[in-house]
Amino acid sequence: MRSRVPCVGIRDRQNSNTGLILSLFVSGAERHINGGDLLALVAQGMESAMDRCIKEYAPLVWSIVRRYVQNPSSAEDVVQETFTDLWRSAKRYDPSIATHTTFVGLLARRRAIDHTRKESRRPHLEPMPESDSLNLASDGPTALMKCEREDVRQALAKLTDKTREIFTLHFEQGMTHPEIVEKTGLPLGTVKTRLRRGLIELRNQLRPADYPSSPQTPNP
Amino acid sequence: MNDPEIISRFEELDAGRILGDLDAGEMDEWEKLARDPRCQSDLSLELAAAALEAEFQDPDGVELPPGLLEELQKGTADFVVQKLSKEVEEKVVEMPLWQKVLSAKNTPWAMAAIFALLFVAQTFVSDPSTSTPGPTTIQVSPEEASKTLVAEGKDLIRTPFEGGGDYKGMSGEVVWSDERQEGYMFLTDLPVNDPESKQYQLWIVDPTRDEKPVDGGVFDIASAEGTTVIPIRNPLLIRDPKAFVITLEQPGGVVVSKQEVVVAVANS
Repeated sequence: MRSRVPCVGIRDRQNSNTGLILSLFVSGAERHINGGDLLALVAQGMESAMDRCIKEYAPLVWSIVRRYVQNPSSAEDVVQETFTDLWRSAKRYDPSIATHTTFVGLLARRRAIDHTRKESRRPHLEPMPESDSLNLASDGPTALMKCEREDVRQALAKLTDKTREIFTLHFEQGMTHPEIVEKTGLPLGTVKTRLRRGLIELRNQLRPADYPSSPQTPNP
Repeated sequence: MNDPEIISRFEELDAGRILGDLDAGEMDEWEKLARDPRCQSDLSLELAAAALEAEFQDPDGVELPPGLLEELQKGTADFVVQKLSKEVEEKVVEMPLWQKVLSAKNTPWAMAAIFALLFVAQTFVSDPSTSTPGPTTIQVSPEEASKTLVAEGKDLIRTPFEGGGDYKGMSGEVVWSDERQEGYMFLTDLPVNDPESKQYQLWIVDPTRDEKPVDGGVFDIASAEGTTVIPIRNPLLIRDPKAFVITLEQPGGVVVSKQEVVVAVANS
């Protein structure tokens, strides 16, 4: 028998956005909740919203982390750390600057790259900033980006074929730089430069049209 | 190098930093340039990289390792409780004498009276605007979840609610598992409340948690018919609950109850 009073009527007292909370948990309404709203609820300390976030973003976080962390057990730890970061830093999320997916992806990348750096014990490496220092909201106009999926696709379409190819190898197929060298026959320096300048170009494409252009860096 | 060249070089190194492919020499160069006022790093490159990651991944096709979701949610519960515990410890009212009262008086209403006196004595700390989260909801229905608990819980405490004053006509039961840190209230004939005017609030009395009652959260009764199942999502670890007390409070609940309206008590 269906519950007469499913979950409606129970309120999180820390949260003033009661309507949003109720809509989150009323049966059948869950899938309509925007990811940004979900992060807003997490930012307000709502544990059940965090549960929902885990279900929503675990596949994305896992897939990003696994690109960098080969050991499955370590990867699980990094995923856990990413969600701990998410809980702590959700209040810093600003939907006008990045999509919720980009925000979560950023946290996952940071954790995964940090882990890789620690594992490799490479000297003189700059640690990634702690998530507590992450502040999308106040980094000024330079951080403003158009990061909707369609924006990213349009920006990718404006890149050269060579850049898109190397992005595919690196970001989609998860190849390391030496693997790309082996696959393409390009020198390591060219691979690095092409990735770096491609990222800069993509960033420039994602910036608003009226944003001052950065110095030109020709793509090899 | 002139200014644009310096800025361009820094930007390229910064992209390498974001991509994680700087060698030691490049990192030294990046650190040096990062101190140059002409070179300013922001989040834009990192956001672009994250957007690329998300674009090239296909989360829908990702198969998570078995048990990962459960582990993540368990981990979440741990750090949520840690955070809330710290907040609640700072806000929950002291009840210095209640343990003695509990051992001397077994009737719930005697205990509730002492409860009230102690709360009244400390009303100055009442601040609903900074109250801790109440029982958040679960994504399966409370009825289903409570059935699972009753079927699977090995250390169940089941104790009836006894209504007082205007609420004598109500009946109900609380089911609680220390092991699972999970519980439900089954409430019948409890009057419908207007959430804009008053809300019910649960308090959990646990002597093993020193002398502080635990806020069990705010809830509403939407229908006077049948039994309403209310999940308890305690923000603190409950080891040995001796009583569950329902009060009627202002909307949003209170940090410290004056116990002006004690609705029901379940004494375990």
